[in-house]
Amino acid sequence: MKQLLDEAVMQAGKIIVGKEQTLRLALTCLLANGHLLIEDLPGVGKTTLAHTLARLLGLQYQRIQFTSDLLPADIIGVSVYHRGDESFQFHPGPVFTQLLLADEINRATPKAQSALLEAMEERQVTSDGMTRNLPQPFFVIATQNPAHQIGTFPLPESQLDRFLMRIHIGYPDERAERILLSGEDRRSLLEQLTPCLTLEQLRDLQQQVIQVHVSNALLDYIQALLKFSRNSPRFHHGLSPRAGLALINSARAWALQAGHAQVLPEDVQAVLSATVAHRLHSGSDTGVAEGQGLAQFLLESVPLP
Amino acid sequence: MNPPPLNHRSLLSLSLITLLVVAPHFARLDPRISLAFFAVVLLRVTSLYRPHLRLGRWLLLGITLASAALILSLYPLLMGLPAKVALLSLMMGLKLMECRRRRDLYVVVFLGYFTLITHFLFDQGMLQVAYVVVMVIALSGLLIEAGRTESHSGWPLHSLRLAAGMTAQALPVMLVLFFLFPRLNGPLWNLGVDNSTGQTGLSDSITLGSISRLIRSRAVAFRVDFDQAMPAPPLRYWRGPVLWHTDGRRWGRADLPKTALVSYRSDAPPVSYQVTLEPSPNDWLYALDLPETLPAEASLLADFQITAKDIRQRRYRYSASSRLQYHTGSLSERQRRLGLQLPDTVTPRMRALVSRWRAESADDRQLVNRALQFFRNEPFHYTLNPPLLETNPVDQFLFDSRRGFCEHYATSFTLLMRLAGIPARVVTGYQGGERNPLGNYLIVRQSDAHAWSEVWLEQSGWTRIDPTAAVAPERIERTFEFDLQENTAPGSPVIFSAGDHDLLNRLAKQFGLGLDAANASWHRWILGYSSQQQQRLLQLLGFGSLSAFKLALTMVLAVAALVPLLILLMRWRDRDRPDPVQRDYGKFCRRLARKGIARLSHEGPQDFARRVIRQRPDLQRPVSAIIDLYIALRYGAEDDPKQQRRLRQLVRNFRA
Repeated sequence: MKQLLDEAVMQAGKIIVGKEQTLRLALTCLLANGHLLIEDLPGVGKTTLAHTLARLLGLQYQRIQFTSDLLPADIIGVSVYHRGDESFQFHPGPVFTQLLLADEINRATPKAQSALLEAMEERQVTSDGMTRNLPQPFFVIATQNPAHQIGTFPLPESQLDRFLMRIHIGYPDERAERILLSGEDRRSLLEQLTPCLTLEQLRDLQQQVIQVHVSNALLDYIQALLKFSRNSPRFHHGLSPRAGLALINSARAWALQAGHAQVLPEDVQAVLSATVAHRLHSGSDTGVAEGQGLAQFLLESVPLP
Repeated sequence: MNPPPLNHRSLLSLSLITLLVVAPHFARLDPRISLAFFAVVLLRVTSLYRPHLRLGRWLLLGITLASAALILSLYPLLMGLPAKVALLSLMMGLKLMECRRRRDLYVVVFLGYFTLITHFLFDQGMLQVAYVVVMVIALSGLLIEAGRTESHSGWPLHSLRLAAGMTAQALPVMLVLFFLFPRLNGPLWNLGVDNSTGQTGLSDSITLGSISRLIRSRAVAFRVDFDQAMPAPPLRYWRGPVLWHTDGRRWGRADLPKTALVSYRSDAPPVSYQVTLEPSPNDWLYALDLPETLPAEASLLADFQITAKDIRQRRYRYSASSRLQYHTGSLSERQRRLGLQLPDTVTPRMRALVSRWRAESADDRQLVNRALQFFRNEPFHYTLNPPLLETNPVDQFLFDSRRGFCEHYATSFTLLMRLAGIPARVVTGYQGGERNPLGNYLIVRQSDAHAWSEVWLEQSGWTRIDPTAAVAPERIERTFEFDLQENTAPGSPVIFSAGDHDLLNRLAKQFGLGLDAANASWHRWILGYSSQQQQRLLQLLGFGSLSAFKLALTMVLAVAALVPLLILLMRWRDRDRPDPVQRDYGKFCRRLARKGIARLSHEGPQDFARRVIRQRPDLQRPVSAIIDLYIALRYGAEDDPKQQRRLRQLVRNFRA
């Protein structure tokens, strides 16, 4: 199984050059059956990353470009009067897919955002009094620009919480950038990409993630992290129990892709920043990309029990 | 709101445990009561699976009345302990019949606890105590099981373990109560014991044939601890009742006055010992011939028989000392008269025999030897199944049947001596006994019961003569032991066992001796803990002598102090103890820190190992081995003590 995942990461690395750690995190998030938020400046490859993952996992996918005039019906679908049998027929929106790419989610109004976020949490949508289940699996990979850019509606904390992980891509290093600049067009490379995993294998992997052994010693560590975040004055508010669950699930998935038989503190640390940074706020100022620094502080402040 | 009815599982286990709780009583109760109890439990269990067998209220009432009638008919007026136990057991069984809700179960369980206590009224042996403890755990387990809200189907091991743990927690309190509870002199329940069930033992008279029955019982009569080396078997004559008066068939005691302890003219040093007498209906004690010092409660009669007050039906332990060689001094006129008393059954051929001996011997001593020679040379046989002697037992035995055991020999010998004008009497008691090498004490069994003669000779005073020894010397010289089950035809001679040839027999014998030794210590140290021992212990602890009230107060205070102490102890045991794996890992990290590679507080084991190996590639092998094992033990599902020991070994051998 580990080879399978390594192979996937290797394939993706041909397109997203020099970002292995980011790729692994993204894959981990999907293995843990969580939604992924990619936050970075325009042009660093957020959309390409999302596309790459969708293709590698061989999932049926849809893309929504979020704009400020996007309506909930554009996401969920709409019932249209059908003249033939004189009834309303539901036309499913792009959300009815296995992998949904929500580009620039913070460009849309809160109303449209919340329509998507509800679908993410419930994995079903309700329209015209009818509840419809979304396909299985259902992932959302959302991208957003940093909140300080013009024309954005920042996601509220409660909605950020729905994302298992938030990751950054960052600028490529010099060597990787040279490959990018000199190489083929990324779009055409993407077309050539073949799926590494079948749906069956993905489900199997998700099952295995649940079964990765978590010892009491590791639970002690996670509880120590949560406790520290709640007691330290550096944080505006502590991590919620949901954050704790997210941390365990991501650490399990990370352990699986790292080939560990059990979850190690290192696995927790590897996913810590991605899992908790978007849930943490500084107690003093309101800096924007402060979460990562806080996560690092948390990591270094809590000794292993 | 009504609590839910009990499920089948609880009822089934309740029925079975009730049966087991009452089981030891079965042997003590009338078989009809036991049968009725068993039938009631059986009916209860079958009605679980055949609901139409469930009894109605009126039928149950009828059965209850019938049971009461049965008990009353078997034990009129409910006299005696077994009657009360029968009532308790049977009513508990009937309560089982109407057991539907949890409350009923509680009632039965508490009745069960009470029934367990009643076992101690009959038997306080080690096995009984062990059985009661097991039953207490079972009952408590049932109580725990019944108190659980969720219905579950797992094996109730958890409840039993919890019950066992709680019983164990009661142990310190039990010890305090044992040592400090004010002792009453004599058993508390002496009043209730049914004397009529009587244990076997010697009686104070001989009717020819009565010792034969006794001889077949392997029950222990008493045990003896010697303060010095044990005397040889032929010297172990345990003196019991002395018989004087005879009508030719029955021999009985004479009413002799008490006497002060006499100093016997003797050169041999005294032998001192402690006797633990099993409960018997008699009021006499046993001592080696002849007793010198006796316990304070005992008194010595003029014929050296020892009697004591208040020893019936209880285990009694006493010290005594004896002289094995002695001279009893002169003969009182009364004793001479008693010692020459003759029945009217003396026949001419007996007189002829004795006068022939008298003619052949110069003095009494020679006459005694002549008589012993007669028993030795004529075809007398030792047998436990003598033919019935109808009209004149002594005459028939001496001249016709010539088959008998100690009683026959002792009585006829004594009678012959009296005919010859030598004062003589019959002494009954025990002879020999088996040495238990495991406890180094002597076990004297009912089968060691014996009778012998004493004659008064001018030179030596009262002298013990054992005519049985002349006929069957093995009876005296060796531990008396033969196959009791052997179906001997009337009159056939006893074959004394030559020893144990069979390995299984030998093992069984060893086991029996071990069990007896354990039981003897149990009786000595646990049941024998009397008020004297208690006072001695308190003095040893520096309390001095305490009244019963102060003793009870001390007991209450000790328990009050003990319980919080126990709670603290259990808290302390459950505290966070660094687990051995963490301790060894800490040691490993400290060793590396001394070499300048300190683990960061948040650094995981794998990261740390990687960093160590980067800095010290030479350490790769030991560090990886330790880290891999540590990860498996701390974060993996591995929970093998063997692996934990291996980690300790690796860390101990680790040199940075």
